[in-house]
Amino acid sequence: MANLGRLDWYDIARNTNWQPTYVQEDELFPPQMSGSMGIPLPEWESYDEPYKQTYPEYVKIQREKDAGAYSVKAALERSNMFENADPGWLSVLKAHFGAIARAEYSASTAEARMARFGKAPGMRNMATMGMLDEIRHGQIQLYFPHEYCPKDRQFDWAHKAYDTNEWAILASRHMFDDMMTTRGAVDTALMLTFAFETGFTNMQFLGLAADAAEAGDWTFSNLISSVQTDESRHAQIGAPLVAILIKNGKKAEAQKMVDIGIWRAWKLFSVLTGPMMDYYTPLEHRKQSFKEFMEEWIVTQFERSLIDLGLDKPWFWDQFLEELNYQHHGMHLGVWYWRSTVWWNPAAGVSPEERTWLEEKYPGWNATWGTNWDVITDNLLAGKRELSYPETLPVVCNMCQLPINATPGPTWKVRDFPLDYKGRTYHFCSEGCQWCFEQEPERYKDHLSLIDRFLAGMVQPMNLAGGLQYMALAPGEIGDDAHNYAWVEKIRAARQKAAA
Amino acid sequence: MSEIEVLKPLKTWSHLAKRRRKPSEYEIVSVNILYNTRKGCAPYDLDPEVAMNRWYKQYRDASPLQHDDWNAFRDPDELVYRTYNMLQDGQETYIHGLFNQFNEREHDKALDSKWAGTLARLYTPTRYLFHTVQMASAYIQQMSPASTITNCAAFQAADSFRWLSHTAYRTKELSLTFADKGFGVDECAYWETDPAWQGFRELMEKLLIAWDWGEAFVALNLVTKPAIEEAVLRKLGEAARHNGDTLLGMLTDNQLMDAVRHRRWTTALVKMTLEKEGNAAAIKQWIAKWEPLADKAIDAFCAATPEVPDAAHDAKQATRDFRLSLAL
Repeated sequence: MANLGRLDWYDIARNTNWQPTYVQEDELFPPQMSGSMGIPLPEWESYDEPYKQTYPEYVKIQREKDAGAYSVKAALERSNMFENADPGWLSVLKAHFGAIARAEYSASTAEARMARFGKAPGMRNMATMGMLDEIRHGQIQLYFPHEYCPKDRQFDWAHKAYDTNEWAILASRHMFDDMMTTRGAVDTALMLTFAFETGFTNMQFLGLAADAAEAGDWTFSNLISSVQTDESRHAQIGAPLVAILIKNGKKAEAQKMVDIGIWRAWKLFSVLTGPMMDYYTPLEHRKQSFKEFMEEWIVTQFERSLIDLGLDKPWFWDQFLEELNYQHHGMHLGVWYWRSTVWWNPAAGVSPEERTWLEEKYPGWNATWGTNWDVITDNLLAGKRELSYPETLPVVCNMCQLPINATPGPTWKVRDFPLDYKGRTYHFCSEGCQWCFEQEPERYKDHLSLIDRFLAGMVQPMNLAGGLQYMALAPGEIGDDAHNYAWVEKIRAARQKAAA
Repeated sequence: MSEIEVLKPLKTWSHLAKRRRKPSEYEIVSVNILYNTRKGCAPYDLDPEVAMNRWYKQYRDASPLQHDDWNAFRDPDELVYRTYNMLQDGQETYIHGLFNQFNEREHDKALDSKWAGTLARLYTPTRYLFHTVQMASAYIQQMSPASTITNCAAFQAADSFRWLSHTAYRTKELSLTFADKGFGVDECAYWETDPAWQGFRELMEKLLIAWDWGEAFVALNLVTKPAIEEAVLRKLGEAARHNGDTLLGMLTDNQLMDAVRHRRWTTALVKMTLEKEGNAAAIKQWIAKWEPLADKAIDAFCAATPEVPDAAHDAKQATRDFRLSLAL
């Protein structure tokens, strides 16, 4: 072979900055779109991406990856995974695809923003590949669930969800739009690729892949591990920027963006990933608890990469660690309780054996969350299912758009963090969400939460039916208990046995 | 009591279910995937007036280019991500096979030193030019109003990155044979100051700040890219063949295959926009605005291109022929 090695010409391919003269530099790279913070062009040219890939390598490797993922899918299409799967596992799939697929596609817009407006040429090339990656993730995560459409109407939501005002999608859009599609290239790189993709997508794609493998869903396990291999490349777009920002006296700005990104990602994960891992995934297939996954991927690994880059632990770190013990339990209780407002069937996950597991992983669970489930369980045992549905609306946070909740029981200390800004009172679930708002109130000021919309009369009629209509949820798609309350009968049997 | 309808499972996504035809993989994964185009909503779900929302409202939603259903657009090639990689991995295998074969035959050593100087001045600086096309295509990707359009723009950006990568490869390789021609060193200076490049640099710098998405699309895909393809790829490729540089001729021929595909989706999109009154006028106005700059760029570049008679005239005519084919 007489071909050059990749590194022989790699640097030339990323040496593409020039000094514009027919337009001003700030016209070519508007500060608002590039997020350049006044750092001059040559400084950005020191950008050095740690994961180097060329175009020919990209198309070759990606072709091979797709060949792998699609052939596993084809090979297993006639398996009875779907028919044999625990309904809780199908709920994981439904929630995942609905919340993730089109958000991934939207991330291609974010990558394109970096490819156009990034001032570091290496970053523009990396983001060009990142843009393609995110198209892959949108497309493959639509193609795979599509085959389930004829089996279950809720799978329509893998595509439909983002066209609606369903509350979990409202929360997802607010979070993703905040960190990836409404900011300049540098901010996007720090928040999306560094804070979110370096830390959190590992959780969703590797943690969940482990559970999927345990559950025998090789197609899904293979799919999301393959997705993660792309993430681990383009997630590295952000880190080299941190060095440039610190060198140019912008550490505080970098820290702030990373902190906002982590906090916002955490809240969304507490409502989606937490319940999937600790309640929906069948007990025997749970690899680790959500908290254990979080501690491994976020607390240990991500914290280390923050420090290695010269950043600090976020100011809210202690609060975040504390929330790992409880936040997702409250989110899960809420999702199950308001189960008719989601496009999947939440698994209660509170059979006697599951409660034992929860108590083991989260000591004190029975004395706190367990007491709420006791009431629900007793009502169901007494045949009063109607009492297991809500009659009111939750108070939701004006940042994360999620219900404000805290640990029930003797230590109950739920609190609202209200804030008055320009004549409107905002409600936040936490200091973290309030802090995000205060960093740039104008970004969020006139956004209306679902509850705000309800109170403003935008949801008609003002009842559950009107709410469901507003969220585009109809019978046939609205959620109910994943196991059709079979777990209640297990509890009845256990209690009868104990009584006898 | 009225029966409450319970929705039944469908064979495909509900938004595609009304059609009779079974949807293709392309349609399943490509149609109506953007969520920032929901009717009556701010593009992004934050404050409706946050700067990025204003940007989209002004430069996308209020563009003179209008259509009632942008999601009706279909890429004539129906490329999806995985077929794009199959296609281009095959092309890259071909190109790197060429690089290998020509290197083994010591192709560069047989090149005339004067031609090597021409390559240093007119060919290797193309990495800047191709990169601006990459950036401009990425802008169209982020601003266009339907996912079937954004996909085409994304692949076009990637193809521009492909062309730039070929140039980078050849820059290094040529530097190994011709140490005195400034390969890998002087490209930026040529791009910034050489008269042959100033037309294209002016065109690209101005194009990159054409924020209206419709204008950006027309200026790039109807005017600028054809100018680059006809002058820089085709005419430089012809000059190469006349100077014993078979490799460059074969390389640009291959890149032109990408360009032909780009013109296919461009043609289909223009055709769709012509369904609505007012668009033809807007497109013509933009062409009138950008054509003189593109012509100037072609003139400057072709004036420096040796041994291709009527290069500028032919290149300009070819860009017009393409635009004429759009039946505006």
